[in-house]
Amino acid sequence: MSAGSATPRLLAEARWPEPGDGDPPPLPGFVHSPFHPLVAAVADRCLTRRYGERPVPPGVRCAVVLASAAGDRPSAEHVRATVAAGGRIGPLFFFQSVPNSVAGHVAARWGLAGPVVCLSPTGDPRADVTAEAELLLHDGDADEALLVLIEQASDGAPTGAVAVLLGGGTSP
Amino acid sequence: MGEREPVPISGMHAVSALGRGADAQLAGVLCGAPAFRPVRRFDTTGRRVTVAATLPDVGTLSDELADAIDAACRAAGLHPADRADSALLLATHGGPISQPGPFRADRPVDPVDGSTGGTDGSTDRRAQAPGGPQVPALAGHLARRCGLGGPTRIYTSACVSASTAVADAAAMIRRGDRERVVVAAGYLVEPDQFALFDAGRALAADGAVRPFSAGRKGLLLGDGVAAVVLESAEAARRRGAEPVATLHGWGRAGDAYHPCQPDPAGRGLARAVGAALGRAGLPAAAVGYVNANATGTGYSDASEAAALRLALGDLADRVPVSSTKSLHGHALEASGLLELVVTVLALRHGKLPVNAGWLGPDEACPLDVVIDAPRPVGSPYALSLNAAFGGANTALLVGAP
Repeated sequence: MSAGSATPRLLAEARWPEPGDGDPPPLPGFVHSPFHPLVAAVADRCLTRRYGERPVPPGVRCAVVLASAAGDRPSAEHVRATVAAGGRIGPLFFFQSVPNSVAGHVAARWGLAGPVVCLSPTGDPRADVTAEAELLLHDGDADEALLVLIEQASDGAPTGAVAVLLGGGTSP
Repeated sequence: MGEREPVPISGMHAVSALGRGADAQLAGVLCGAPAFRPVRRFDTTGRRVTVAATLPDVGTLSDELADAIDAACRAAGLHPADRADSALLLATHGGPISQPGPFRADRPVDPVDGSTGGTDGSTDRRAQAPGGPQVPALAGHLARRCGLGGPTRIYTSACVSASTAVADAAAMIRRGDRERVVVAAGYLVEPDQFALFDAGRALAADGAVRPFSAGRKGLLLGDGVAAVVLESAEAARRRGAEPVATLHGWGRAGDAYHPCQPDPAGRGLARAVGAALGRAGLPAAAVGYVNANATGTGYSDASEAAALRLALGDLADRVPVSSTKSLHGHALEASGLLELVVTVLALRHGKLPVNAGWLGPDEACPLDVVIDAPRPVGSPYALSLNAAFGGANTALLVGAP
């Protein structure tokens, strides 16, 4: 999509892994997949670089825009295999069955009260999420936007993540 | 386009267990008979709940989406050149879900010989075979098949996917990015999400959806496939198109509260309503109906009631409210678009749908809920609200043209 009249400013950026990183820390309440710990770890790192401590300053409405081509593929495959075999699924899989859940975890932890939007990029992932963030900032529902891109192997396994904090919106 | 000029909706189409097309949706919600019945599309042995609102005859999700887009474009009177300029925003599940279909009389149709079978092991294999391209390739496939030449975007934001797409479509049009955007959304009840909702004890064990009611037990899933065409007022005028409705305002906001539970105070949803009213330039008193998100879930419906009180003040006592999920079920990623279409149809027809399943008032939901029979429309403006895991909230403010 085309960009708005004002290009948002890059406020912070982070990756997981960065040199010296191992696996991201486990995330209580989320199981089976590296998807959710990756999102939480890279988001924490990016927001810490900008703000130091939680939460973000009062009055800053920050959106969360999370992009992944295949969603949480390891959990989805576990669910599919269990259902196909006639088995029972653990209830935690329900609560993590959509990417919104971990986006909401980040939002609650950091006080991000802007829109929560999850995308499956149809083009260049960074361009897709940046275009969505620009739209939200231009439209006025957010002052800043935290973008999280999950990198996945060809089988859908999450391998890393990038987080970008953009700012510079206008009011509606 | 003007800063506050409403965005016309020039065509729409919807499919649910209430039937196919706009007339079926309108007749279904005004009739007030819920469409829930035993699931026969796949095996529900071992599940706590075994009902959903499903269409007996349904194609693959990909085919149903393509048909809905075509029908909405025809309803809008779009020529091939108009379609070629249109963007496509698609709302659907982001993972490799088990897409069912096609089905005839609830039985899987053999893709080769067209025969149908039961839900034993041999046909489960067919039922769970991919029913067409999956996300993210699905958007490009649909765009090519339906002649939509603009950019595509896929929303996987759970139960606010479609409503977020509508808000974004309107924002793109108002910003001048595009003259025309097609929003399409689809969910067909399938075994994996059904099992997940069952495992999470989110489904109503008594087989009924009772939004805002005392004794409500949870939600029930339902098929939903819909498409709408939004365009700039100037583009609609130039084509001589007659809008079916206008989108006056929209809002999106987060709770910043919990990964899965809504803020009990409803602050995020209230801000979404406030943003929608602000963009429309309308006071809360203009709202004549709310098609609520209410899923029939205890804490979630109470949170929405609190949000309406916060956003509308004492008017929350008097604004007619119902949740049409009580009739067509919860269509997950597609719910926002199906409910927007139903809301528009109700406004145009002049009657507000009932909130089925009502057992009695709940003091945690002090609202004017439409029960017993449809009510006459008192104002040409209605809100369609949606909320999702992650504390995501949306409000769409729609008006009769």
